[in-house]
Amino acid sequence: MGFEKFLFYVFAAITVVSAGMVVTRRNPVHAVLYLVLCFAATAVLWMLLEAEFLAIVLVLVYVGAVMVLFLFVVMMLDVDQAALKAQFIRFLPLGLAIALVMLALIVLVVGPANFGLEQFAKPAPAPADYSNTESLGKLLYTVYVYPFEIASVILLVAIVAAIRLTLRRRPDTKYIDPAKQVRVRKGPDRIRIVKMPVEGKVEAE
Amino acid sequence: MDFNAAELIPVLPEIFILVLASTVLLVDLYLRDDQRGLNHGITLVGLLIGIGLILALGGGERQIVLSGSFVRDPMSDTLNAIILLVAFLAFAYSKDYLRDRNMLVGEYYVLGLFAVLGMMIMVSANTFLVAYLGLELLALSLYPMVAFDRDSKAGAEAAMKYFVLGALGSGMLLYGISMVYGGTGALDFPTVAASVADQGLDNKVLVFGLAFVVIGVAFKFGAVPFHMWVPDTYQGAPTSVVLFLSSAPKIAAFALAIRLMVDGLGGLHADWQGMLIILAVLSMGLGNLVAIAQTNLKRMLAYSTISHVGFIFLGLIAGTAQGYAAAMFYAIVYALMAAGAFGVLLLLSRKGFEAENLDDLKGLNERDSWYAAMMALLMFSMAGVPPTVGFMAKLLVLEAVVRVDLVWLAVVAVAFSIIGAFYYLRVIKLMYFDKPTTLEPITVGAGARVALSVNGLAMLVLGLFPAGLLGICQAAFA
Amino acid sequence: MENVYLTIVLAPLLGSIIAGFFGGSIGRAGARWVTIIGVGISTLLSLYVLKLFIFDDQPVFNQAIYTWMVTDGISFEIGFLVDKLTALMIAVVTFVSLMVHIYTIGYMADDEHNWPKDSLAGRNSYQRFFSYISLFTFSMLMLVMSNNFLQLFFGWEAVGLVSYLLIGFWSTRESAIFANLKAFLVNRVGDFGFILGIAAIGMYFSSMDYAEVFAKAPELADARMPVWGDTTWSVMTVICVLLFIGAMGKSAQVPLHVWLPDSMEGPTPISALIHAATMVTAGIFMVARMSPLYELSEAALTFVMVIGATTAFFMGLVGLVQNDIKRVVAYSTLSQLGYMITALGASAYAAGIFHLMTHAFFKALLFLAAGSVIIAMHHNQDIRHMGGLRRYMPITWITALVGSLALIGFPGFSGFFSKDAIIEAVALSRVSGAGYATLLLTLGVFITALYSFRMYFLVFHGRGRMDEHTRHHLHESPPVVWVPLVLLAIPSVIIGWIAIEPLLFGDWFKDVIYVAPEHAVLAQLGEHYHGQWGFILHGLVAWPFWLAMAGLGLAAYVYWYLHARRPQLEDELRERFAWAYRVLDRKYGFDDFNQTVLAGGSRGLGETLWSAGDRKLIDGWIVNGSARAVGWFAQRARHLQTGYLYHYAIAMILGLVVLLALFVAL
Repeated sequence: MGFEKFLFYVFAAITVVSAGMVVTRRNPVHAVLYLVLCFAATAVLWMLLEAEFLAIVLVLVYVGAVMVLFLFVVMMLDVDQAALKAQFIRFLPLGLAIALVMLALIVLVVGPANFGLEQFAKPAPAPADYSNTESLGKLLYTVYVYPFEIASVILLVAIVAAIRLTLRRRPDTKYIDPAKQVRVRKGPDRIRIVKMPVEGKVEAE
Repeated sequence: MDFNAAELIPVLPEIFILVLASTVLLVDLYLRDDQRGLNHGITLVGLLIGIGLILALGGGERQIVLSGSFVRDPMSDTLNAIILLVAFLAFAYSKDYLRDRNMLVGEYYVLGLFAVLGMMIMVSANTFLVAYLGLELLALSLYPMVAFDRDSKAGAEAAMKYFVLGALGSGMLLYGISMVYGGTGALDFPTVAASVADQGLDNKVLVFGLAFVVIGVAFKFGAVPFHMWVPDTYQGAPTSVVLFLSSAPKIAAFALAIRLMVDGLGGLHADWQGMLIILAVLSMGLGNLVAIAQTNLKRMLAYSTISHVGFIFLGLIAGTAQGYAAAMFYAIVYALMAAGAFGVLLLLSRKGFEAENLDDLKGLNERDSWYAAMMALLMFSMAGVPPTVGFMAKLLVLEAVVRVDLVWLAVVAVAFSIIGAFYYLRVIKLMYFDKPTTLEPITVGAGARVALSVNGLAMLVLGLFPAGLLGICQAAFA
Repeated sequence: MENVYLTIVLAPLLGSIIAGFFGGSIGRAGARWVTIIGVGISTLLSLYVLKLFIFDDQPVFNQAIYTWMVTDGISFEIGFLVDKLTALMIAVVTFVSLMVHIYTIGYMADDEHNWPKDSLAGRNSYQRFFSYISLFTFSMLMLVMSNNFLQLFFGWEAVGLVSYLLIGFWSTRESAIFANLKAFLVNRVGDFGFILGIAAIGMYFSSMDYAEVFAKAPELADARMPVWGDTTWSVMTVICVLLFIGAMGKSAQVPLHVWLPDSMEGPTPISALIHAATMVTAGIFMVARMSPLYELSEAALTFVMVIGATTAFFMGLVGLVQNDIKRVVAYSTLSQLGYMITALGASAYAAGIFHLMTHAFFKALLFLAAGSVIIAMHHNQDIRHMGGLRRYMPITWITALVGSLALIGFPGFSGFFSKDAIIEAVALSRVSGAGYATLLLTLGVFITALYSFRMYFLVFHGRGRMDEHTRHHLHESPPVVWVPLVLLAIPSVIIGWIAIEPLLFGDWFKDVIYVAPEHAVLAQLGEHYHGQWGFILHGLVAWPFWLAMAGLGLAAYVYWYLHARRPQLEDELRERFAWAYRVLDRKYGFDDFNQTVLAGGSRGLGETLWSAGDRKLIDGWIVNGSARAVGWFAQRARHLQTGYLYHYAIAMILGLVVLLALFVAL
């Protein structure tokens, strides 16, 4: 058992255990943190597959950005843990049964019999000067340019959708509009001269 | 590798719709609130131009471009054009409804057009990856549309359910695709098909992946038991969105099924035939039975959709060119029927009033006999009464399954469609034999009126002269 | 040419649609003009087509216009077969139809009097009538121009439908509704046989196309079909008899003739158009068109001939005792249809068609003349109340005389040529039953002359027996009524003279109608044919002519000479021959039999089945029971939709697990 194999099994174990924790933790903050761990371990697995770029992106984007945001959201929400727990217990037997059947099916299919070295020969390791990022980039902008562009459209849709669903002007909120501030003119906008009758005169009458 | 700009020519309709969506997005920025109608105009004109582009560029040999990602063939020409046509109808019916509810904003059209783009991408996908991305583009555009009325709790709930279940469904599809990739080492349909033909049915991995792929497709169609989102979403979403959601995406789902299961995994027909038989029987049974118990018209139509999906599956189950053509015919006809039926609901709705219960149709004949007649045609067509086109569509899929010696399946289908006839006829009874609850006249713009008339009469005309459309469908699988 | 043919068919349809759907907005004049122009275009084009066939050797057009669907290799199409037979038929149909359209302007001019004041159906009835007769023209053209059995059936049913609508046109009259229901039901019997025949053709020929079926027919000449145990029937005979049962319904042959006399409840123009000139001849046309099939079955020919001859003679007899002017003409129509059918049975198809054409003109003329009389008599149709009308209505009188002479086959008139040809052809026929047919047809000539001139003398001669008020208002009908009479009278006189040579003895029907050499009676007849004069001279020394003259003379003696002196003569005769009168007046009991045994019996059976079977078993258990079961299940099943997201998700995953378990693990 080489060192690589040792690393693989360690991090694979961490991935599986932490994924299990994500589902079973009652405290959502803990669950999110386990998810972070799960991603990190997965990143290492990818590294072992010589997919350095994807590993780094996973850490940077998912762990660094997405999960942090997720954590904020979870912390801000007030989740009724007791209710969740009750549901969880109630459906646990059924859930477990289904999960076991699924597991059995997956083991039956996704095993060495179908995915062993006989079916898939081990690829030759890449040379030292091989740039994962460069070849990925080349592929993305040539062979996969069409899916790539579609993915960009999907992101655009996500932006439009998010804005439509959340952005709304509430008439009762007070907010500052910098553009209006800048546009204020010196004369008529800032000072308004109000003409008033002299009060004393009124009294004199 | 070299890039050849001529390769973009077959993709022009897709590019055009993308540009159209972006144009609406930008133009909307500069419009005052009372000018939002311009979005509507641009969208409708754009869709017509899109149809023109498809017709101009279509025809001729199958073309595969963009490194095998994109295919243009007779099927994609037809389905894309019809998707644009149905979307055109959906937008045309919706204008007044949207304006009355302060939803006549650019985003509606932008999201709708992106959804259309997603469908077109699915239709002309030549790899699993592109098909999946098209599906996601469609789904992601539809989720916010379901929740488009931000003040509606039902809409938000519906969108939430749709989103979560949709994520589950597309997760399963993706998992299935990964299995197929594992089993064949390829993502593009021709290579996968060759590899499947090579390996035969021995490879369990492929069957395993196939099950997930079938589920992804079945979810998109809304087949039992992956239909749970359909009734809740139909009921909660604004009617204009339901109209959109229930019509064109069914055509796209049909295309997805053909691309994934026939173009890609056609070699596994024996397996997916069995899966689809289960789903089809369940869909026809549950859809027709539960629809009877509904009082909400939108929910009723949702269950009717589910039962029609069962019929579309019949054509696929046959696994013959004739069966696929029949299923395609059915899907197209269904999209037109759904567009018309929800169109009537839209036109009946007014500011502050949603026509969505069966009782709202009472005595429609006395209020507006023309709409009642159109609705009656649509209902007859859905029930499959000759000489409407719905009959022809049912006949064709039944013939297809009978030809492959699945007579029992045809008998089951006929039995369920008889049960289904009950609730369609009930609508007609309500319209013609009951007293109206209100005598308020129906005021509708001329455009929508014309569109609905064309839509309703098409049921009759296509039923009497089905050869044209049928010929197109058969040509797609010749 | 395809466009010409399409226009011929579609122009009346368009007119009908406009007049029918927009009758309220275009008004009476609009409806009138649009339908007349539509039919007028058809007529002109039909005559043009006929001209092309006569003079320019127009090739036969046989082509599908539209393929409705193809299933199991049988294609269902709309297509036209235009050959010389079709060209002749469409010319006759459209010409008579046009005359009737024009005539209708006058006849229906004050139709509002025929309706109760507040009747909704009475609104726009004028426009509706025009729409119906144009629709009829369309249907009839579809029928005769068809090149396949499916479209034939469409036309067949469509003319039946319009006939139903028009018999019951005055839908507020009890008798009209009864009559149209009767026509409808009796035609159901015929049409059931007809569609069985078409189904048998579909089964044995795997095609709906005439040409293909005819080409394949000789192969099946000796085919047998198993019926029961070891019994087998000849396929061709079964097909031909079944098709002929359809023709018996439509062309009103015994015993399916009972609807035609009652159909006189409809307005007179349609009695002329539908129930005399065109629709009722559809059966004759159909059998002639199917000659390649009928020629293969001697048994079917015998059947056809016996039925035809029976109708020809016995229905003529009934005509003797009718007093309603239209019913007399109706029974004469039955009888003449019998002549045509008998000709078909003798394989003298051309003679049948020839008589069909001449009959179309003179019978339409007689009906329209009767209608003209009816207008003058303020819708009193009883000939016992008429008399002496020739003084008031000279044009109607002359044209009716022309029509009657043509009907009885007076030498030189059109009916003479066609009827004599039929009788001679039947006499030459060697099909079994020909002797019986010859006898009845020959005697029928006497009867025909008798009842025709009985009516003629009672209506136009003698003393006027109408009341003072009616007499005061008697006058000739307006031009829209008499112009069609005159236009129809012309062909009633001359068409026989012109057409006999090409139609019967020339090669007009060569390649169109097939006659087996052993049945070729007309060819035999043609050997002795030496021009029209020869035919007339030959007719003058033959039995039929003298019988006709005897009938005419007897009618003149009894109803003109004696009637003026002893008006009660007819009553006395009636009493003396009470038994014969009763048989004839009861129409041999067909109606009574139908109503008590068939209608009553089936109603009784229905009542029993309804109360025992339908209400208890089917409604109670099967329908309501299953509906309840479905409803119950629906109520349960809707609760599957709980609204909870995780239930939905579980359902999806369970579905996945089931699929995986079934298809991967097993």
